Amino acid sequence: MIELRGVSKTVPSGDGTLTILHPLDLSIPDRHVVAITGPSGSGKSTLLGLIAGLDAPTSGQILVGGTDITTLGEDALARLRGTHIGFVFQFFHLLPSLTALENVRVPMEIAGARDAERRGRALLDEVGLSERGHHYPSQLSGGEQQRVAIARALANDPPLLLADEPTGNLDSTTGRQVIDLLLQVNRSRGTTLVLVTHDADLAALADLTIGLRDGAIASRTARPPAS
Amino acid sequence: MTFVLLMAAREFRASWRRLLFFFVCVAIGVGAIVALRSIIQSVRSGLTGEARAMIASDVVIQSNRAWTPEVRRDLDAQLAKTPVAARQDSIEMATMVRAERGAAVARMVELRGVESGFPFYGRFTLQGGAPYSHDLLVGRGTLVRPELLAQLGIRVGDRIMIGGQPFTVRGVIEQEPGGSAGGFSLGSRVLVDLADLRGTGLLTFGSRATHQILLKIAEENAALRLVREVRANFRERFVTARSFRSTENQIGESLERAENFLSLVGFIIVVLGGIGVWSVTRVFVQQKIPSVAILKCLGASTRQVLAAYVAQVALLALAGSALGVGLAAVGIRSIPASLTAALGRVAYGLTLSAVLQGLAVGLLVSLLFALVPLLEVRRVKPLLLLRGFNLAAAGQPWTGSLVSRLRARLAALDLLQAATGVLVAIALVVVASWQAGSWRAGAAVTIGFAGIAAVLYGAAFVLVRAVSPLASMRWFPLRHAVVSLRRPGNQTRVILLAVGLGSFFVLGVRSLQNDLIAEFALALDPKGADMFLIDVQRDQAGGVRALLVDRQDPGAPPPRLVPILRARVTGVKGREVTLDSFSDVRGRGSLGREYGITYRNALEENERVTEGRFWTGEPPLDPDAPLHEVSIEQSIHERFGIEVGDTMRFDVLGRIMQARVTSVRRVEWADARSGGFMFVFRPGALDKAPQTFVGFLKGPADLTARLRLQYDLVTKYPNVTAVDGREIIGRIQKVLDNAVLAISIVGGIALLSGTLILIGAVAMTRYQRVYEAAILRTLGASTRTLGTMLAIEYCALGLLAGAIGAAGAAALTWGVTRHVLDIAWRPAPVLLVSGALLTTALVAVVGVAASTEVLRKKPLGALRAE
Ligand SMILES: Nc1ncnc2c1ncn2[C@@H]1O[C@H](COP(=O)(O)OP(=O)(O)OP(=O)(O)O)[C@@H](O)[C@H]1O
Ligand SMILES: [Mg+2]
Repeated sequence: MIELRGVSKTVPSGDGTLTILHPLDLSIPDRHVVAITGPSGSGKSTLLGLIAGLDAPTSGQILVGGTDITTLGEDALARLRGTHIGFVFQFFHLLPSLTALENVRVPMEIAGARDAERRGRALLDEVGLSERGHHYPSQLSGGEQQRVAIARALANDPPLLLADEPTGNLDSTTGRQVIDLLLQVNRSRGTTLVLVTHDADLAALADLTIGLRDGAIASRTARPPAS
Repeated sequence: MTFVLLMAAREFRASWRRLLFFFVCVAIGVGAIVALRSIIQSVRSGLTGEARAMIASDVVIQSNRAWTPEVRRDLDAQLAKTPVAARQDSIEMATMVRAERGAAVARMVELRGVESGFPFYGRFTLQGGAPYSHDLLVGRGTLVRPELLAQLGIRVGDRIMIGGQPFTVRGVIEQEPGGSAGGFSLGSRVLVDLADLRGTGLLTFGSRATHQILLKIAEENAALRLVREVRANFRERFVTARSFRSTENQIGESLERAENFLSLVGFIIVVLGGIGVWSVTRVFVQQKIPSVAILKCLGASTRQVLAAYVAQVALLALAGSALGVGLAAVGIRSIPASLTAALGRVAYGLTLSAVLQGLAVGLLVSLLFALVPLLEVRRVKPLLLLRGFNLAAAGQPWTGSLVSRLRARLAALDLLQAATGVLVAIALVVVASWQAGSWRAGAAVTIGFAGIAAVLYGAAFVLVRAVSPLASMRWFPLRHAVVSLRRPGNQTRVILLAVGLGSFFVLGVRSLQNDLIAEFALALDPKGADMFLIDVQRDQAGGVRALLVDRQDPGAPPPRLVPILRARVTGVKGREVTLDSFSDVRGRGSLGREYGITYRNALEENERVTEGRFWTGEPPLDPDAPLHEVSIEQSIHERFGIEVGDTMRFDVLGRIMQARVTSVRRVEWADARSGGFMFVFRPGALDKAPQTFVGFLKGPADLTARLRLQYDLVTKYPNVTAVDGREIIGRIQKVLDNAVLAISIVGGIALLSGTLILIGAVAMTRYQRVYEAAILRTLGASTRTLGTMLAIEYCALGLLAGAIGAAGAAALTWGVTRHVLDIAWRPAPVLLVSGALLTTALVAVVGVAASTEVLRKKPLGALRAE
């Protein structure tokens, strides 16, 4: 369960302040798929970043699994991310000096897992890249990089997976593959999935779609229970 | 922990090429330290082991006067109390020898008369492997050095004239006991039997011989006690003593000082390398910001990330230091033999302590210099990743007023980073002091570096400000060159710092070297005296003078023969000081030593009266007058507070005489070829006292005429020694040449590290440039445009760095010549200007060459890699 209570974000800008997110409340039940949509600049990435503890809100509380992460320090947040939250970026953000397999292993190594090697290979296999483990990011296509990034996000089997426009840089076919992969993870592992997307089709697959506009929630659409 | 090590290893794998240069910087600095220290330590261990052999005994008691029966008796009494295993006499003196027949050449040699059983320690090595035995000397035999044979044009079996007597050369000395660590000597060694030496006419009154008693004493404590007691009891009778221990300590101390000095030079090179390390790390960290953000996003704590990078730096530093040790090993092997010959025959090799110190300094300096930029990773926020992070956005652009920049800086000032900076500075002072073996030197070096670094840093800022208006120029390459100079994360400061310091160091060393050489060249002034005679007896003075006049070139100033007597101050009664007895005088340090004194009725050209009145033109005093007159040198006046009007008591060869100080003279020591005397007496008092003469003359210009003159002097007056100033200067020149060679090598290493830092700085920003160039290419810029852009940028940097380095070098030379070496400062505009221009050219060439990849790389590849 993820709970946002009165979460807002402002940044100083020139003489005054710029409001990126107005105070908002949101709760995301476990195992749900939530899509965040909205025009460019509406604050989607900011919201996702706040949930992941990548940034601190100006006001409000963010509860992840019952812990208010706004009270945590930088290192505690890092630990939380390492074990409880997987993050997939729009721009992949793989470590350029590490191979695909090593990129996947890193979160496990940070967490001190023993079977990083085996599990890393299994994850790469899961995303269909078992043959490419020794390649460096620059040797992979955008879609392949994105899949490595997903494998990496899943490394520690986190209960929460956040993805910021995971398909934004991919063609529709590859994008589809990536989405399928994410939804499959949600189904098979019960991972809560929060994604930012412009893709209406993808949004239609979500249990809940949050529409953002100018830093405020403009719409909440729940998927009809059975369709 | 595993993560930290794994991460360090992987990153290392990817970045070692970029950090290669880091590695080389460390390697060169460490190599310099290890090599310099090893050499000196080898010399030291080689020499200290031979301290006994060097003095051929355990204890030497010596005097520069012939033993009087009383002294001899008292010494015997003293020795009777000591368990002496063996003793023998020996005499050493400088004198002239010539071949009995053959070339009319005479040479100055260092003659030593020894008895059977010499040496107690050490061994002579003779040419041809013949064993040394005293029998070779008995009956007017002699052993000489190979160079003397060559100089006189003779062979073994021929005879040479020593003190007017023929000696047969029975062998050639290849190596003396204790090696030849003396360094500078007046002439080559000639060994004869002591009894034969006494039989020559050399030991006349006043001759400069050192009379020695060599002792073999098994018990070290007894030896040391004897030395102490002889020193205490016989000093007033001109007798001194030293043990092999004091020889060892003396050598040890001066070598230790040399070692520490050279190590400081090595340390400076390491610091230059450290600056390279700093710049590399800074750019490296900037490039690693996305990676750090990702790692943090994946759950790594700041400490883990920091540890991973520190581990990488440590790994590199260790590897670099190890390479440095390797370089040192190779370097030591390839040192020119002429350099090492001056230090004696020693087996050179790496010493463990030098290696360990080198490794420690390499690791320490690298970590210290890398730490501050590395702390930057603490500030990296994973949030960056949400905004399609861009490399070029790292760092602040170099714009805005100084005040606003400073304010921004202060606002962004990270306390921990600042504190670390201070700690690092302190640690550097500590490491420098450790290497220099002195706090003062360590602090001076660090502060000097910090000073010039601050100037260069300021200059970088000024440069960016000064060229900023050019950014609006129409010419594309110029405009973009200017933009490059101040782009975020620019290399302006790094290159200015590295190259500026490098050129400062190299130019400083070179111009100091020029000043030193010029100083010695002055000593060869064609008008001054260039031949010197020693030990001319009173009855020989007339004949010698006539011979000299006869041989001089026409128009040369007449030769001068100056009487010289030995005297000691035994009391002072004055306004400021009162010293009643000789032991009081001795309490005043060097005032108690033996002085050479003279008498005359006129001032020399290099003298000037500063107080009182000189007796120029006044008649001589009555020899039996109760109070004579003396003129003292300025330094005596200043150091001991003796004033005009004070009365001094002298012991002139046993005769006590009182003299009133009537004037103070300043002697221009730099121009002391016609001699300089601390005490000059008014004629009268000393005229009849036993005395010898020293001679100064402008010898014939022609070399054969000079040799002939020396030869004829020796033939006619065997006890007289004629020193050829030109030859001595030639010898000094040789020693100096070696020093210059050594300095040049060190300067070359500094230049090399400066160049490396430059290459490194260029290479580090290359990744960014390749990307920019690719974009410019895509937009239509030609290779020529890009090349011109680079050339302008690097020329500006090089010119500024060179100019500041040259200015710094001029300041350094001025300070050192004025305050340390005490020689004249000669501005060297040609050297400095050409140095600055060379620096510019070097930076331009290296900068453009190191950027060829930027010019050659296909834009697509570059953009994709990004
Ligand atoms: N640190 C910041 N300083 C100033 N403005 C910021 C900062 N962070 C975000 N913003 C602004 O906040 C707004 C929301 O940004 P955000 O990245 O969340 O948008 P987004 O909805 O993800 O847009 P897009 O679909 O283009 O990715 C934007 O207008 C952005 O410019
Ligand atoms: Mg966004």
